[in-house]
This record gives sequence, C-alpha cells and structure tokens, in this order.
Amino acid sequence: MADTDWPGCARSLKGVILDMCGVLYDSGEGDGVAIPGSIEAVKRLKASDLQLRFCTNETQAARETFVAKLQRLGFDILVSEVFSPAPAAAAVLKERGLRPHLLVYDGLLPEFDSVDQSNPNCVVIGDAAEKFTYQNLNEAFRVLTDLEKPLLFSLGQGRYYKETDGLKLDVGAYMKALEYACDLKAEVVGKPSPTFFQSVLNDMGLQPHEALMIGDDLVNDVGGAQRCGMRGVQVRTGKYRSVGSFNLPKINMSPYWPPLGHGCSYWLVKPSMSVCEQPKFPLLRCHLVLWLNLCFYNR
Amino acid sequence: MMEVSNMAGRRALKAVLIDLSGTLHVEETAVPGAQDALNRLREASVAVKFVTNTTKESKKHLLERLHRLNFDLQEEEIFTSLSAARTLLEQKRHRPLLLVEDSALQDFTGIETSEPNAVVIGLAPEQFNYQTLNKAFRLVLDGAPLIAIHKARYYKRRDGLALGPGPFVAALEYATDRNAIVVGKPEKSFFAEALSNLGCNPNEAVMIGDDARDDVGGAQNAGMLGILVRTGKYREGDERKIHPSPHLTCESFPEAVEHILKNML
Repeated sequence: MADTDWPGCARSLKGVILDMCGVLYDSGEGDGVAIPGSIEAVKRLKASDLQLRFCTNETQAARETFVAKLQRLGFDILVSEVFSPAPAAAAVLKERGLRPHLLVYDGLLPEFDSVDQSNPNCVVIGDAAEKFTYQNLNEAFRVLTDLEKPLLFSLGQGRYYKETDGLKLDVGAYMKALEYACDLKAEVVGKPSPTFFQSVLNDMGLQPHEALMIGDDLVNDVGGAQRCGMRGVQVRTGKYRSVGSFNLPKINMSPYWPPLGHGCSYWLVKPSMSVCEQPKFPLLRCHLVLWLNLCFYNR
Repeated sequence: MMEVSNMAGRRALKAVLIDLSGTLHVEETAVPGAQDALNRLREASVAVKFVTNTTKESKKHLLERLHRLNFDLQEEEIFTSLSAARTLLEQKRHRPLLLVEDSALQDFTGIETSEPNAVVIGLAPEQFNYQTLNKAFRLVLDGAPLIAIHKARYYKRRDGLALGPGPFVAALEYATDRNAIVVGKPEKSFFAEALSNLGCNPNEAVMIGDDARDDVGGAQNAGMLGILVRTGKYREGDERKIHPSPHLTCESFPEAVEHILKNML
C-alpha cells in the first residue's frame, strides 16, 4: 500500500515528468523567458537519482526546434527526453492507415513529413495560432463533413495558455468549435490522454505510483497524470490563476512537515472534486524550486 | 364514431412564422414559386411574420434584398435575432464588444461600445481571427457576459457549407468555462417575442424553416408546430435529428403553404 503522505511519497519516488511551458519557461517573443529558478531545479533533478522526462503539448514547433530554444535559455535538456503530441500522432496515423488534412502551425509540418497526406480521410489540428483563420477552419470543417466517417485528432485539448503578452486560446477551444460544427468527438493525442502518459512511463520503465508529474495545468497535467495513477504537483506559475473555477480546500499541515517558503501551502484534493477523479495522493502547490527542497529534505 | 384529428387540442391557426435564408431564398436567388405562395398565404386570414437568425445584415438590408426578389413584405414584419440582442443590451445597459459584420452594426446604433464589458457574437467571418477571438476570450474570462446572437453550426453559401457562429461560441464557452446567453433561434424567448405583438399563443402558430434544430425544433419546443423544408441548409436525414420529429417535412416553402391552406385553417 503506497504511502499517501508526503514524506512517504518522496521516499518511493523514482521518476519525475516535467511539463515545459508554464513550468520551465513562459513563451513569448523570441525564445521566451525562463522562469526564475527553473534552470537550477532541472540541474538538481538530473544530479539526483531520479529519472527525468519532459512532457509537453507544444505544437507550434517540431521537437528539435523547441529543445534548441530551451538549450539557448540555459536548460540541460535533450530531444530524446522530450515527449510531445505530434510524433505520437504521426505514429497513430501510420498505424491506422490514415491520411490527414493538417491544420497546424507551419513549424510543426516537419513532424508529419513521413505521413501520406494525399486524399485526406481525417483532420489533425494542433495549436495553429494565427493560422486559425475562418478560411482554414472552414476548410477543415468541409473535409470532415465530406467524409463518410469523419475523424478529428486534436493535439492536446488545452483551453488556453500564457504568453508574455497575455493569455491566448489553445487548441482545445478550436477542437470544441469543430466538434460542435460537425457533431462529433475528437480523439485527443497528447496530455491528458492516458496512452500518452503511459508511453512516457514505459520509456522510463516505471510504474505509475513511482512517478510524479509537475505542471501548471490542473486538468491536463495534474488531472491527467493522477488518472493514470501518478502523483501530481501543480505550480503557481504559467497559466495558474488563483481566481478560477477550481477552489480547493486548504488542510492543516501536519506538525512534522517542513515549512515551505512564502506563498506556498498544502492542499488536499477530496474525492468529491470533479476535476480530478479518485485522487489517491495529496496535491502540493508550490514553486518548482521550493518543492525540490521539500523532496530532497525527505529523502 | 369519434374521429381524432391530428390537430386535436389545437386552436385554429392564427399566425405563420417564416424563416428567410434557406426557406424563401438562398443568397440572391428566390426559391421557385415562393413569391406566389406568400401572396396566397396573405389572402388567408393569418398573421405572417418573418423571423431570422441572419446576423450579417440589418433589417433594411434584408428588406431591400427581399424586395429585389419580388417578395411582398414590410420592415415591421421582420424580427431578427439582432433585434433580440439589442433589447437585451439595452435592458442590462451593457457596453458590448461587437463581433458582428459591418453591415449589421446599423442595428446597434446608439449603444455605447467603448470600454466593453460584454461580448456579442454574431456571424462575422472577418472577426473570427485569432487576435479578435483572443480579445473576446480575455473579456469573458475576466467576467464579461457572452451573448450569442445564435449558435447555428453552419449555413449554406453558394460555394458550399460554411461555419456559423455556433462553433466559435462553443470555443469561447469551453475556454472560459462559462455559458453563453443565446438570444436567437432556437431559444423559447425568441419565438415568444416574435409572437408577442400578433395576439396569439404558440399553439395557434406554425413555423416554416430549413433548419431542423433551430427552426423546427425550437418552434415546437416553444409550443408551436413546425414544418421542415428541404431547401437551403437541409441535409438528408435532418428530420430524424429532432424529437418530436417535424409536424411535416416537405420539398419547399410553396408545398408548406399548400399544406397549411388545405389542412390547418
């Protein structure tokens, strides 16, 4: 029976999966901006005996491109450590003999070079940003309605994300638009799909309860991970908003739990919360660096 | 022997509500025979009103086109979802960000739009770009009410089907986790307001339209009877998508009028 309190959890932990945008950096002009302390935190994780992988729903650029961007910002990260939806989707399309009509950012197209795109029999949407024009959405809509078996893949289902110049609509909003227009349900590739998390765990050779997901998105990062049996930590950076529809009750800290820095507290997610199904473990909200201090304190 | 008519429980027909785009005409082409059918309907003693979710055009625009196509009607007989939206804005004193076509802005003259604290969405392809939708999204996320003129999934253009405002409203509802207030078809309030100055109850009225869910489903849900026509955006099988199914499904507006004149008066 796995420990459900933090000192016990920290001891049985063998791997950490980090979300990227909103945890390591904020995207925006140029390369974006590293979140203070995150470069150092990644170095500490790599120096520890914990396995580390990066998981992102980034779909504006191919892996090589955004990993290079993070390396320029100072992060110690390799393409082989990164899991993103586009390569996972390309694999699914080939496996099922599907030919996609793509509505994705130009920077993502190389991830689909090896996929036959003639005579499309499905639609794939990613975070296309300015390419989400009425004309492009209409074209995708028409491809779907002309198909006998309309099939829509969405690379993620996020509602919005944060860039340095404000909050922006994410692919999930446009997925809902096409779902509504065509009266169908999209298949989501990427967080929070359990298949996606499982592929990362398989790569690490770990059981779900041995791994921890850290992200800024309560539903797609933490919720998705918890549904697989992993533990979740939500950080108060990135798209985290203290005023939102997720009001979690605070709990009293056990006396032996070490104090965290200013602005951090513990929250316990109760089973009645609709956001995370059957949470088995406590949720901890804090800045990534301070959490690491807690983790290492208890090992 | 008692004969139970399928009009049991219904009073005599007093009013006919008629959809415009897709029912009387498709863009600049009238449905064949529709002008004569309308004249025949007027000769019978029923009130007639034209109801539309068209948000791209003001009432004057609509009227001008219908007159060009030789339809006999007056501006007061037209009730649009834009009118319904304006009424709501005035009641609540909202200052809207208007995502409507330029040609529809005429129907909102006099409404303050600086420092918006509400978002109004109609059919506005030019405005459904990434930047403008993000602006609308941020307003709603910060608490502005989201008012949808209607939520049609798509409509028929000369070059094929095209996305209506519904998908974009759904996108914003999902992103903000809020529900839009819908003022047009198929809301009950829209049909009630359309009938309000005709002096009749919903069960004394029938709606003719090409959209199974928004025209026929909405009208029947408001207590009226609905006739679905196979023109405009109609696609095979649409009549099976609503419950109860349409009172009648027929080829086009002239056939609907024939049925009314023969069986419902």
